[in-house]
Amino acid sequence: MLSVKGLKAKVGEKEILKGLDLEIGRGEVHAIMGPNGSGKSTLAHVLSGRDGYTVTGGSATFDGQDLLALTPEERAHLGLFLAFQYPVELPGVNNTYFLKAALNAIRTARGQPELDAVAFMRLMKERLKVLHLDDSLLKRPVNFGFSGGEKKRNEIFQMALLEPKLAILDETDSGLDIDALRIVADGVNALRNPERSVILVTHYQRLLDYIQPDYVHVLAQGQIIRSGGKSLALELEEKGYGWLGIEEAA
Amino acid sequence: MSPAPGFEQWLAPAPASAGGRLDWLQTQRAAARLSVAAQGVPGTKQEAWRYTSLSRLLEQGFVPAVEPVTLRPEALEPRLIPELDAYRVVLVNGRFVPGLSALEGLPPGVRVGSLAELLATDPDALKDRLNAVAGPDQSLFTALNTAGLDDGLVAIMGPGVCLPRPIELIHLSVGAAAPLLAQPRHLVVLETGAQAHLIERYVGLTDGLYCTNSVLEVMLGADAVLEHQRVQLESPKAFHLAALYVRLGAASNYRCINIAVGAAWARTDLRVRFTGEDAVCDLQGLYLVGERQLLDIHLDVDHQVPRCRSREYFKGILYGKGRAVFDGRVHVARDAQQTDAAMTNRNLVLCEGAEIDTKPQLEIEADDVKCSHGTTVGELDPEQLFYLRSRGIGAPLARRMLCLGFAAEVLDALGPEALRMHVAEEVGHRLEQAT
Repeated sequence: MLSVKGLKAKVGEKEILKGLDLEIGRGEVHAIMGPNGSGKSTLAHVLSGRDGYTVTGGSATFDGQDLLALTPEERAHLGLFLAFQYPVELPGVNNTYFLKAALNAIRTARGQPELDAVAFMRLMKERLKVLHLDDSLLKRPVNFGFSGGEKKRNEIFQMALLEPKLAILDETDSGLDIDALRIVADGVNALRNPERSVILVTHYQRLLDYIQPDYVHVLAQGQIIRSGGKSLALELEEKGYGWLGIEEAA
Repeated sequence: MSPAPGFEQWLAPAPASAGGRLDWLQTQRAAARLSVAAQGVPGTKQEAWRYTSLSRLLEQGFVPAVEPVTLRPEALEPRLIPELDAYRVVLVNGRFVPGLSALEGLPPGVRVGSLAELLATDPDALKDRLNAVAGPDQSLFTALNTAGLDDGLVAIMGPGVCLPRPIELIHLSVGAAAPLLAQPRHLVVLETGAQAHLIERYVGLTDGLYCTNSVLEVMLGADAVLEHQRVQLESPKAFHLAALYVRLGAASNYRCINIAVGAAWARTDLRVRFTGEDAVCDLQGLYLVGERQLLDIHLDVDHQVPRCRSREYFKGILYGKGRAVFDGRVHVARDAQQTDAAMTNRNLVLCEGAEIDTKPQLEIEADDVKCSHGTTVGELDPEQLFYLRSRGIGAPLARRMLCLGFAAEVLDALGPEALRMHVAEEVGHRLEQAT
């Protein structure tokens, strides 16, 4: 489904990704772990099409399409979703209006009819229930004044509504206490299915106690230096990144 | 003294002006004509016109609208807000049209209607009120309006009257062969403890070229409360001038939302004067200024007495080669202790060709006050744009959503809901061109 080959990317003059390879199959959950500064977030951003990065080599294809040639919205239409590490506040933009605009933009791009207000509300209520979210969230401006936990839950809620084929969760565990983490993880688990792939970008093994990955990759200095099963994460937890000869950036 | 070159046409008296036999009114008109002549045509060296040249206005050769316009009620329909339940006063080219207005069911103690009619039937009700707030030393366009003073809205609420529905003033401009000038003159008086809600809407029937030079005087007695919403949606070629003079009595409350979206060339002067203690004035504004549009907003809020509170909060969105001026002044006199005033002007500039000159000023002579001012000029936040686009929303819609989000603070303060929806839709339409 996603095939990344020899991906190189720069921020300004600084090369962050230095030839990264990654293959993600349908329905698989991959964890990408690595110390700060290893390029985890850069990978998430480059895949989702954020400005400020220059791809200098390699390729990324998604369902056979050249992902890197597409705008961020086109990638979303294909079924890519990024759960932000720092969800952006949109004062004055109502959450329900935003969610409806997003869903209908994706449906339109896929040649599906737009959902009317009634059908949309029904769908939203149903997804809220799965995530045990309060519907007061919907009446507020997007992420505006949300607590850290609410913001992350709102990300997962968007994912539930937009039903991506591939979700990239960029440090979704950061800044969450254990209860909030459990809620977010339950949400992600509820959305797991054989058609949906997930990339969990994380610094800590903790998240993987709640969301079991099929594969674990270690990213360091812009490359995947080790891949394995769930046990690799446990090993990292025990021995630290130093075990793989990686120095953590301060 | 000869009239200022360019304004001779404006001063041509209407053949049968309202209240032609009233000496006091003729005296006011004559004084205004002299004032116009004495002021000449202000150049950009004069502070009040520093950013805005009058030459573009004068080039158009506007002539006062004299002929009454007959309009079938159906013609007005596209400009109505169907769900808005209000007492409706319709002016066409500055003149009251009873057949289009709807003034049934006004409570006792209330007069709402045509200024010309009241000048004919009960001029004493106006004698000490017309020009009382605007004062004798009038700026050029107010003097021009006074010189041509003929018709407009008059609303007088007796003591303690609480108007159950808003008054909706629709000023409709209808084109003719020559570009027409309308100079509506409005007067709103709320006596002690009266409460009212005024909605002013300025619209064109077509996309024609015309000029509106409106003046509104507002007198609030002690404890009076006025909600005032002014929506300028003139045709894209129109010229629009608005002068608002507000005098606030003790513990009165004036809340004004000023929406400026239409017109090619627009100028707004808002002058508020506190004359009684403990009064509150809340001015908000939203302006959209796009291709070939010019908007010049001037605020002058004068705290003359202690313990009054004023808020000036204006937001603008600029795009195309739009140009706007925000010149806000808050003056706190020596005796106006414990004044609480805060002025803010925030601007969103969508492209490089657009321009905003913003100049908030505080002039404080008292020593025990709480006053602040702030200005921002920014662009759309790329992080916010990316967030929306990453959810599948195309860039143009994403930009529009962020602009509407920026405007929401002011739009959401509009009421009733039917008006808010109407204005939000119009703003949304304009933003489609911008984004």
